[in-house]
Amino acid sequence: MEVREQRQELLLRIPRLRLAFVILLALIGSSYWFVQVVQGSYYRELADNNRLSKVPIHAPRGLIFDRHERLLVDNVPSYDLVLDRSLSRDLAASLDFAAEILGRSREELEETVGRYRGSSLFSPILIAESLSLSQVARFSAERLEHPEFDIDVGHLRVYRHGPLTAHVLGYLGEVAREDLEAPESAYKPGDLAGRRGIERAYEGRLRGSDGERVVVVDSRGRPRDDYRNTAASAGTDLHLTLDLELQQEAARYFEDRVGAAVALDPRNGDVLVMVSAPSYDPNRFARRLDRSEWQALVEAPHNPLQNRVLQNTHSPGSLFKIVVATAGLTEGVVNGSDSVYCGGSTRIYNRRFRCWKRAGHGWVHLREAIKESCDVYFYHLGQKLGISRIAHYARLFGLGTPTGVAIAGEKRGLVPDPEWSLRVRGSTWYPGETISVAIGQGPILTTPLQIASMMAIVANGGLRVTPRLDRDAPAAEPESIDLNRSALEFVREALWAVVNEKGTGASARVDAAQVAGKTGTVQVIEQKSWIDSKDLQFEHRDHAWFASFASVERPELVVVVFVEHGGKGSRAAAPLARILYERHFSARGLRQSS
Amino acid sequence: MRDTSPLAVFASLPEERTFLRTLADVRWGVLVTAILLAAIGLATVHSASAEMEVDYLPRHALRILLGLLVCAIGFGIDYQVLTKFSVPIYIASITLLVLVLFVGRAAGGARSWLGVGSAQIQPSDVAKIAVIVLLSRYLAGINRRHLTLPQISLALAVVLVPMVLVALEPDLGGAAMLLPPVVGMLLVAGVRWRLLLAGAVVALVIGAGIWNFVMLDYQRQRVKTFVSPQSEPLGAGYQLRQSKIAVGSGQLTGRGYMQGTQSQLRFLPARHTDFIFAVLAEEWGFLGVAVVLILYALYVRNGVTVALRSRDRKAILLVVGLLSGFAFHVLYNTAMVVGLLPITGIPLPFLSYGGSFMLANFFATGVILGIDFRRYVNR
Repeated sequence: MEVREQRQELLLRIPRLRLAFVILLALIGSSYWFVQVVQGSYYRELADNNRLSKVPIHAPRGLIFDRHERLLVDNVPSYDLVLDRSLSRDLAASLDFAAEILGRSREELEETVGRYRGSSLFSPILIAESLSLSQVARFSAERLEHPEFDIDVGHLRVYRHGPLTAHVLGYLGEVAREDLEAPESAYKPGDLAGRRGIERAYEGRLRGSDGERVVVVDSRGRPRDDYRNTAASAGTDLHLTLDLELQQEAARYFEDRVGAAVALDPRNGDVLVMVSAPSYDPNRFARRLDRSEWQALVEAPHNPLQNRVLQNTHSPGSLFKIVVATAGLTEGVVNGSDSVYCGGSTRIYNRRFRCWKRAGHGWVHLREAIKESCDVYFYHLGQKLGISRIAHYARLFGLGTPTGVAIAGEKRGLVPDPEWSLRVRGSTWYPGETISVAIGQGPILTTPLQIASMMAIVANGGLRVTPRLDRDAPAAEPESIDLNRSALEFVREALWAVVNEKGTGASARVDAAQVAGKTGTVQVIEQKSWIDSKDLQFEHRDHAWFASFASVERPELVVVVFVEHGGKGSRAAAPLARILYERHFSARGLRQSS
Repeated sequence: MRDTSPLAVFASLPEERTFLRTLADVRWGVLVTAILLAAIGLATVHSASAEMEVDYLPRHALRILLGLLVCAIGFGIDYQVLTKFSVPIYIASITLLVLVLFVGRAAGGARSWLGVGSAQIQPSDVAKIAVIVLLSRYLAGINRRHLTLPQISLALAVVLVPMVLVALEPDLGGAAMLLPPVVGMLLVAGVRWRLLLAGAVVALVIGAGIWNFVMLDYQRQRVKTFVSPQSEPLGAGYQLRQSKIAVGSGQLTGRGYMQGTQSQLRFLPARHTDFIFAVLAEEWGFLGVAVVLILYALYVRNGVTVALRSRDRKAILLVVGLLSGFAFHVLYNTAMVVGLLPITGIPLPFLSYGGSFMLANFFATGVILGIDFRRYVNR
């Protein structure tokens, strides 16, 4: 029956179609399984990224004050431009738009964006800081056209005294990649972190922790609901040991000079003055200075970025006589009454060693030799002591090792001895070198801060203090040094004479306190005869040192001044010490009377 | 089956025994799944439109009620009458398609809607049923094991006329949707393998031609976006991406009813119409997806049973045509929402908000039930 047959034919084909449908439906069902169950958490995260908008709340960084509560570093509101790439239809067009308003090139902005390549599409990018109000207005006016840009109110670090405190305080910079990638890093790309000085040393305390406001937004970015709020906690304020007034005086002195000055309290190591010249304005760094500006700073004469107080090493010159004198007395090699004849030069090891005073000092004993800075006396004393004992005492005074101040980048300097000579130079130590080292010349290197530390030991009678900048940190227990107290007493008295008995340090004399000190002059080029530094080119002139403390009976301030190519220590360096002592003691008098 | 049917009680009445027994014997499962799906759709449309200016719940509910009425009409009309008037119906639907080109209301870039007072119908939905009815009559009359090429060509010509008209609106998706029922009917009516293969090649060539010369930029863009959705996360790929996020974030058990962030926070466009299934997937998770897919499978299964126990070629082909169109809609829409196929305006039967499509599906359901009801009468 044909009709019947054809119906059967149809009926046989239907189940095939049904099977095809079931297979396809099962395939689609398994796709849903894959997307929802296997990849579900990934899409859940994407959905959360869609709906949750994270607004960072910047924690204000801790303020920094000097020892008398004077504000050194402040925060001011800053309008920053941030970009949310996920809202940008065309990134190139977005950047063109921003570049036009900011007056910067698109390439520059692209470079900024490029730094965020690894981070999530949803994390905002900091494009520019410290927008002017008119720039803020333009971005706000174009908000509908360019929803990807937003103005973020942040904090701008303001160094109220600019170059004056640059080397101590340091500055901030965009957080380094290795800090970002460190485990448990609290930094986000684009965050600022202390790069140098106090800002770097106390980063952990100053920084605080940023908060975050997470808002549920709809597809148009309109906030609907608060999802989570984490309050920002401000960084801790910091009180430094610095004395702003003294710092200003010192900086003024260095306006047309190159060098460093440091003042510290020998009783506890408080650093009252730390000046390095020339300086720079750290406020430029707060605004992310561009490459050419940075290059100019790096190439500027006399390297303004260097903190000469602790990063620059020089021979101590005659300041080293303090070490050698103490060593001689402690070791019993000399006593106060032994005398040596200075005829302007002397012959040791078949070589002639000149005294700075061509005419000679005549017969001098130790006190006079210190007061007049007689080189011949110390040549002979050095010869008697030998290099090993000199090095030993130099190290006791803290030379050759970092002082341990909180600021990073401190140089260790160099105290030479035969072992060092063999190891580093690959040659034996010549006895003649000992004679040069005895007056602080030759391969001996110190930083002004080390000299200040050394002077503190002399001043406080043999206690080593660590220079400190954080006023509220508990002072470390001073370390007692194995030095003969009466030797130190003798040296202190002689140093008083340097200033007060028409010695080389006479220009540091003040009425308010009894100043003790020592001048030093470091030859830059080897001189065959006696030439006054004034007649040389700047870079060939001697370096001038002055190391001192006051008052002798009750030492409370150590002042070390180093003037690069300044000429004689007595003329170039000692006057600043006088200024600082006058300021310090008169101000203290005022404070005590009030 | 017969005894457990809820209408079995009427079957025991002595008088109208044959009628009632036959009535009780109808595959009501088709209607039950349709109503369940419509109810799920109603709840989901409510959730999807919670953040819109209007709540589509009342309108959608009204359409379901209208749908049930249309279903009853489809059930009531003898399909023999339908096929008898298939040519006038076909011509009328073509007239409507021509009319819509001139006086139609535009929506989404295409003039595809005809307004009758406040009601709107999409003539392509009418045309689809008209084509199925006409072809079931024509193909049923060819009582052979396989169709000849001229016969196939004629069948294709019947569908090509409304397809071209719909494509002119321009609604390419709607035009394409006219084809699956015809393909289903042809396959069941009998097409040789080599013809099928040749047809596939021809379709490919025509497809390439359409891509190059017929498709508009936005249509091409949609396909391109499908190929690489990440290329433009905020441009044309947005819809696809948001849909996938909605589906995926539903995970196994869903965010909870009215709790889907993608839909409630308006990230997902077209969420009450073509992407209603994404809303369901987000709020009910894979479990909800599975339930709905199983309901669709049951609908088709019940429909196929009707076809298989029908004794009339016309009826078989009619059911196959209606089910093929239905099945294709389900497959395409669910595959599109999960990102397997390019986005095109293909709604999901019984779930998506949309009047004339809802009515068309209920009408088809009624026709299928009517065929089952009359299976002893029309031999």
